[in-house]
Amino acid sequence: MNLVYALLGLLGLYIYVSVMSLLFAGIDRKLVARMQRRIGPPILQPFYDFLKLVSKETIIPNTANFMFKVAPVLMLATTIALLAYTPFGFAPLFATKGDIIVFIYLLTLADFFLVIGVMSSGSPYGRIGASREVAMLVSREPAMMLGVFAVMWGISKFGVQKPFSLSSLYEHNIWELGPMAWVAGAILVYVFMSWLASEIEAGFFNIPEAEQEIAEGTLVEYSGRYLAIIKLAESMKEFIAASLVVAVLFPWQLNMPGIQGYIVNLLIHTLKVFIVLFVAKTIFRTVTGRLKISQAVNLLWTRVFAASVIGALILAMGVSL
Amino acid sequence: MIRLPLLSTVIKNLFKKPATNPFPKTEPVPVPENFRGKIVYNVDKCVGCRMCVTVCPAGVFVYLPEIRKVALWTGRCVFCKQCVDVCPTNALQMSDEFLLASYDKYDSKFIYVTPEEAEEIKKKQEELKKAKAQAKAKKDQ
Ligand code: SF4
Ligand code: SF4
Repeated sequence: MNLVYALLGLLGLYIYVSVMSLLFAGIDRKLVARMQRRIGPPILQPFYDFLKLVSKETIIPNTANFMFKVAPVLMLATTIALLAYTPFGFAPLFATKGDIIVFIYLLTLADFFLVIGVMSSGSPYGRIGASREVAMLVSREPAMMLGVFAVMWGISKFGVQKPFSLSSLYEHNIWELGPMAWVAGAILVYVFMSWLASEIEAGFFNIPEAEQEIAEGTLVEYSGRYLAIIKLAESMKEFIAASLVVAVLFPWQLNMPGIQGYIVNLLIHTLKVFIVLFVAKTIFRTVTGRLKISQAVNLLWTRVFAASVIGALILAMGVSL
Repeated sequence: MIRLPLLSTVIKNLFKKPATNPFPKTEPVPVPENFRGKIVYNVDKCVGCRMCVTVCPAGVFVYLPEIRKVALWTGRCVFCKQCVDVCPTNALQMSDEFLLASYDKYDSKFIYVTPEEAEEIKKKQEELKKAKAQAKAKKDQ
């Protein structure tokens, strides 16, 4: 019976997150347009785009192998599975001890499926995009992992029920760990915002898809239904990545019992996700251009990962002293 | 250190009105004086001097020797205004019209003096000639 409820919850979350993430994509485009003194598309534009892509003819290149068709589906499936482990203002549906590993694993796996699909298309432009995507993927994740593990380790010192689970983030947060942790928290805000920007490939990090440079990079060969699936999965992944940032850094929620408590917390969480994405995506992509891939990798290792190490050390000192 | 020089501009822009012209809902941006739009041709004024045929770089004009007029297909026009400047009788003018999209490149709005119209003009001219000849004959009697 519990499993049935969990599956129903997953389905509900899937619908909610798809709608909300596409809605945010619309708001994002509108705001970017207004920042450039344009009117911009209607807020529901991503929904129309999605429907249009679904109804278009899907073209499979002659050089593509079967992974080309499977990868987008697997990518979406991974993203949906990821929803069960994502904190949405309340503990994730399948929260267990150490589920952060599953979360990180699934989050990167979705990108790997995209890379595999693009590699299978046979297009050399796609390959360039894919290799850039992998370089970014490898460079950006360690900073986030170190930050998340440090925070969860700090929180586990309070004696939470499920250490190293994303649900423990709602029991205690890093701002309760004293003044040293506040300094570490400020550094981690920077680290996580940079990570989020590189995860959703906004601003500096819009490299693998670099439209004007290598003909859309990763998405060059996808069309029709597959493109629609990838776009949806990417925009859901955006929402999920921002959810992690919100849960780790700003997990304040209302303590309401019952089903309406879940709904209110979900709405508060959505609002926080929108604010985080507004800074990390909308503003960031309006005020900056992209870096070269070598510069971005360099930046992620020297500026972001280094900051993450420093933040983690300060946090560790704050906790043990 | 990252510098974001655009940040303040962008935030300010967010609270300003969009600086665009939402065209189908409003009038298009007004054209200036002496705007070079679609060619307008007045058949009656044309004396068939063929200056426009000589000067047009795009081959818009075809001279019709039987009626001593020109036929135009403005689908090829590059809006250089040379024909207007050279025409001695001001039979050619530039208009303000610039919304010239069409589904058909041989749309009637691009063509002046179709073969049928040429036939009609020919008939009229012949009638005119006959009338003149008759008038002359009467006078001579
Ligand atoms: S405007 Fe120029 S191109 Fe157009 S009909 Fe006149 S001479 Fe030809
Ligand atoms: S230049 Fe003017 S008058 Fe001469 S043929 Fe052309 S339109 Fe007719």
